[in-house]
Amino acid sequence: MEFRETLLSSFRTLRSHKMRSALTMLGIVIGSGALVAVMSMIAGLNQSVSAQFQSIGTDIISVSKYPWIQMGDSEDFRNRKDITLADAEAVGRLPSVGLMAPNIHTRRNIAYGGETVRYTLVTGSTAEYETIDNYLVDSGRFITNLDDDRHRASVVLGADVAEELFHLRDPLGHDIKVGGKRFTVVGVMEAKGDIFGESLDDLVIIPITTFQKAFGRRRSVVIDCSPADGVSMQRTMEEIRQLLRIRRQVPRNDPDDFAINTQSDLVSGYNALTGVLYMAMVGIVGLALLVGGIGVMNVMLVSVAERTREIGVRKAIGARRRDITLQFLVESVILTGLGGGLGILGGSAIAFLVKAATPLPAAVTPTAVILAASFALVTGLTFGVYPATRAGRLNPMEALRYE
Amino acid sequence: MLIELEGLSKIYEVGTQEVRALSDINMTVAENEYLAIMGPSGSGKSTLMNIIGCLDTPTEGSYRLKGQEVGSLDDDELAEIRSTEIGFVFQTFNLLPRMTAFQNVELPLIYGRAARKVRTDRVWETIDAVGLKDRAHHRPSELSGGQRQRVALARALINQPSILLADEPTGNLDSTTGEEIMQIFRQLNQAGNTIILVTHEQYIAEHARRIVRLLDGRISSDTVS
Repeated sequence: MEFRETLLSSFRTLRSHKMRSALTMLGIVIGSGALVAVMSMIAGLNQSVSAQFQSIGTDIISVSKYPWIQMGDSEDFRNRKDITLADAEAVGRLPSVGLMAPNIHTRRNIAYGGETVRYTLVTGSTAEYETIDNYLVDSGRFITNLDDDRHRASVVLGADVAEELFHLRDPLGHDIKVGGKRFTVVGVMEAKGDIFGESLDDLVIIPITTFQKAFGRRRSVVIDCSPADGVSMQRTMEEIRQLLRIRRQVPRNDPDDFAINTQSDLVSGYNALTGVLYMAMVGIVGLALLVGGIGVMNVMLVSVAERTREIGVRKAIGARRRDITLQFLVESVILTGLGGGLGILGGSAIAFLVKAATPLPAAVTPTAVILAASFALVTGLTFGVYPATRAGRLNPMEALRYE
Repeated sequence: MLIELEGLSKIYEVGTQEVRALSDINMTVAENEYLAIMGPSGSGKSTLMNIIGCLDTPTEGSYRLKGQEVGSLDDDELAEIRSTEIGFVFQTFNLLPRMTAFQNVELPLIYGRAARKVRTDRVWETIDAVGLKDRAHHRPSELSGGQRQRVALARALINQPSILLADEPTGNLDSTTGEEIMQIFRQLNQAGNTIILVTHEQYIAEHARRIVRLLDGRISSDTVS
């Protein structure tokens, strides 16, 4: 029998059992839909995360009390000693360290005139922070060493804060209140944009010495630094580690009571996370397709039984085994193929909704579509083989007698 | 000789019991014969028809169709013979309900792997011959019993088979319509077709020129009128 005829005939059959076909497809639709949706979201996540990683820079070492990615006992973390500004300065003096910017953070209300921006990130740091953490000044200037040395009440505004407090006016030279203290605006930074729905521009930066005077010294300092020219990341990190162990009096065989973070830690942590996501997805999709496939097999067996007489007639007028087998196999593959198609549409729709409604830039990848389609087709083929073979092997005479 | 049956038997095993549906059948059918097989139910006439129609194989003995031994062929070889040599007409028509008359008639050609252009021409020709040109695109459910049996006849004839096998072809029709169908059989026979009719009705069998009667799996009489 020509393949075209087989296809047409299969479509006719499936159309005449719309409800049953639809229900049978459901498992496949869910399986392939989940595959496309999750893969699209992971692709989106990858995209936004890699953008964030790039903003950190590959050669930045960030020493802090807690690791960026925490795995283990948080009780232990809480008892750690704070990192002090003196620690930071000692690190800055290491020959293997190039640039170093200590930074501390709090959240305060910022006010100007009648306007208040609530609970905004206030960062205390030094002039080097501009280079290391990649801030660009839009107007005015960044904080300087002189601001720091003299504990000046200078402040550089993030783009969001400038906009909300001053609207279209020029903030430079105006006095604002940061956590109730008076500061003079010396600069406004360029907008950096959003990551995961959180604006990177909702912050102000003040000299670290001024920060400690205004908001207290009892805060752990984060040490951001880069290796000196010609020194490897590895060596720089090792020297920082040894220095801090001595300064913090860590007993010889104890683990570090501080964390040295790099972008590659984030990358590997992130990969571990997406790895788990992928495994979960494989599980869900595999299960859905298995259930869907069993459903397909069940329906195909029912269909073979119902159409025993038809099979008998077809054989009586000259159909061979393979004609019948192929017909049922094609039906099963069309069933799962359509299910896969609907799943891909549904999964893509979910991806677009996610993209529209959340900051996650979900993107439907060709890989996801091809994978979902081939899984669906393979399921149809696998679970269709048994019923189709059974149909092909029916004895024509007995099939014709079947009521 | 078109059909040669020699010492043909069919034994079914029902549980532990052996049932002899046919015992030692010896019979020949020449080309262009018009033969009726008669007998009460259980006499073995359906089994005989199934074997002649290559839907079933004999347990013992030999069945030669156009000189070729058929008893030892496998499934697909039998399918090939059904496709080229046999045309079936059933009591219940056995049309495929989701297909139009045209598609039903076309089906044997598709299984016979005929080219599309050839198929279309042949189907129209055959459907015209049974007088259903204007009903070609209707489904069986939209056709009367007589029309359905004509479609079934067209389907049986489309591959120009050596034998037209009809199992109670008028059993589901009223007598007028049945008579019309028998008229077509007569014409087909006059045009050179070999026809084997299975029936238990005397007046239907009388359309044939030769009547073979079966009783308990054996030929009890074989008369030519």
